[in-house]
Amino acid sequence: MQQRKSWFRFTTPSLVLIPVAVGINYVGKLFAGTLKLPLWLDSIGTVLAGMLAGPVIGALAGAINNVIYGLTVDPISFVYGLTSLFIGLVAGIMAFRGWIDGWGKALFVGLAVGLTATAVSTPLNVWFWGGQTGNLWGDALFAAVLARTDSVWLASFLDEVVVDVPDKLLTVLAAYALFRGLPKNIRQLYTGSRDLESLD
Amino acid sequence: MKTFSLYVEKDSLIHRIDPINKILYVLTAVSVPLILPSMAVSFLWMLTSLALLAAAKVIRQSLPVFAFVSLVLGTVVLIQGWFYPGNQTPLFGREPFVFYVEGLMNALRIVVRVITIVAAFLLLVLTTRPADLVEELVRRGLSPRLGYVLASIFQILPQMIKTTRTIMDAQRSRGLETEGNLWVRVKAFLPLIGPVVMSSLIHAKERALALEVRGIHFEGKRTWLREKRKYPHSRAIGACLLLVLALSVVWRILG
Amino acid sequence: MKKVIVEHLKYRYPQAETLALDDLSFEVDEGEMIGIIGRNGAGKSTLCQALVGLVPHFYRGAYGGRVTVAGLEVLKSSVGRLSAKVGIVFQNPFTQVTGAKWTVYEEVAFGLENMGVPRKEMIERVDFALHLLGLEDVKDRNPFELSGGQAQRMAIAGVIALKPEIIVLDEPTSQLDPQGTEEVFRAIHRLSEEGMTVILAEHKMEKIARYCNRVLLLDEGKLIQFDTPAAVFSREDLMRFGVAPPVYTRVCRELDARREGSSHFPVTLEEACEVLKGR
Repeated sequence: MQQRKSWFRFTTPSLVLIPVAVGINYVGKLFAGTLKLPLWLDSIGTVLAGMLAGPVIGALAGAINNVIYGLTVDPISFVYGLTSLFIGLVAGIMAFRGWIDGWGKALFVGLAVGLTATAVSTPLNVWFWGGQTGNLWGDALFAAVLARTDSVWLASFLDEVVVDVPDKLLTVLAAYALFRGLPKNIRQLYTGSRDLESLD
Repeated sequence: MKTFSLYVEKDSLIHRIDPINKILYVLTAVSVPLILPSMAVSFLWMLTSLALLAAAKVIRQSLPVFAFVSLVLGTVVLIQGWFYPGNQTPLFGREPFVFYVEGLMNALRIVVRVITIVAAFLLLVLTTRPADLVEELVRRGLSPRLGYVLASIFQILPQMIKTTRTIMDAQRSRGLETEGNLWVRVKAFLPLIGPVVMSSLIHAKERALALEVRGIHFEGKRTWLREKRKYPHSRAIGACLLLVLALSVVWRILG
Repeated sequence: MKKVIVEHLKYRYPQAETLALDDLSFEVDEGEMIGIIGRNGAGKSTLCQALVGLVPHFYRGAYGGRVTVAGLEVLKSSVGRLSAKVGIVFQNPFTQVTGAKWTVYEEVAFGLENMGVPRKEMIERVDFALHLLGLEDVKDRNPFELSGGQAQRMAIAGVIALKPEIIVLDEPTSQLDPQGTEEVFRAIHRLSEEGMTVILAEHKMEKIARYCNRVLLLDEGKLIQFDTPAAVFSREDLMRFGVAPPVYTRVCRELDARREGSSHFPVTLEEACEVLKGR
């Protein structure tokens, strides 16, 4: 992925990308459930939107994703909209700076996104659930760490890391695989130059 | 047609209120307990929110959400009761699972806060038609393009899901293994989601072309087919909520 | 009056090596119905989109020459401004549905809301468009519940409501069943009778021969011929361009049955019958 110049491209393709991103998030989660994978994989669309159309669209896709989920499936999604926003933002920033070219770099970005998601979700968890995440295994870890160290923040952080980093790592890798598999004319719509050459 | 939302069709007082006011309510219900962290204030907001849910006649539909929330809250009570860092006064129990007063009090704080926030969001979600919410936001100044994006998701998503089922069946009939050990299942993920992503992006391009020629980027004043809906006491309610918010800030500052 | 003037139009998509449109020049009069034919990849879709400004504004790339549509120069006008003069309908009926509206009526009004048309006029125009396309019965139904033919007619109605002077249709029936196809062609014919200038890219040669005043044959982005259906379909070398003439023409060619006083073959059923009866 080369470095790109314009970060604010509200072109029609970028706008129409947002519903698709929300849909891909949903489908990712659906397939992860159908295949009984031990992951959520519910942010692939957000990351892909960031890779294609940049940080602003990525952030919007993430935020809107949670707003829509909140309105249609689970009101608690509203609270974690901030996390989704940052996932799209970070994925977009890294893509637009040309930092995701090759699988090794994609792995690194996956870790970065995972840690970002953890960093944003932990304060939300501490505020909302008192540090827990609602995930069974993560909360068991929370209890154990809390009992040992008396630190809510450490316990909450570890709870979230264990739950979020593997998931986001694989999410970014999946999104990168999908990005690479896109036909040129689709990618062109988002990454191409906006210059008009004259043939006269 | 079954719409993709949690909206419950009923005719209650709450249903008729301006969606923007309901958003303001969520904001105040979340902010005021934060600004004035007293148990009494939190309890008051929780009871108010639950009462409004009852007034909207949607308690039954809120139960599934509350059920899930209660499960997590149950674990919160246990974990806080046992391991809260500020634990000093034991209440009952046997080592190492002793329930302390401070932990249980903290758990109570969390429980009340969660119920309040969930109830406030449910109030918005169960009594507002998504299309109405988006229309009000755009009328009040949200970019029409963003309003379009929000409104379109409610119908485009179900369409995408329909395509997904077709693709899943097609891939399975081509021999894709979706059951077996973990590695087999992991390998099946990309072949399943790949075609969905591809076809969705192609459709998105076609939709973008169609939207361009229907003036989506037209600069200038837009008009509305539907008449502006009049919501009862919209301004009064909005003003009240903002007043409550302001008062709580003042109270906090004055100590 | 010339509605469409194309002068030395050249276009190359971004990152492409060859020209998609190679030095096209032609003119279309008011009220004409023009058919665009050619093999897949010949440039029909690109030409259609060049008439409404999507080429070049949507894709960018490299552009040369000049296209003037209803007095507006395409290169210098925005797609939004052009859509008040020339409308376009695409192949897939369902990807043209905005998704933001819950009834056919509101869907057809979508463009009018964007363009700031006053409500009273909006209602008149939507009613007119629905009537012209025979959609009054379904005006309160959800757009996604329509059949392919109905959805495509709804797409046309949405475009007609903007009151363009020209309408371009890019293979509008290729994804429809025979009934849907009939519905759409009947609608297009009605539009033409109302005086609208119609430009239709199609593979169904019998329909093109029946309805079009002139036919434009494209190959590799170049204009091969722009003439009456009889002239174009009577070409000996049509197959070289990946185009098969109407079945009636093929039959008459085998029987060497030409039209009276002309070297051309019949292109419609009626003409063929006349010529063959006279033998």
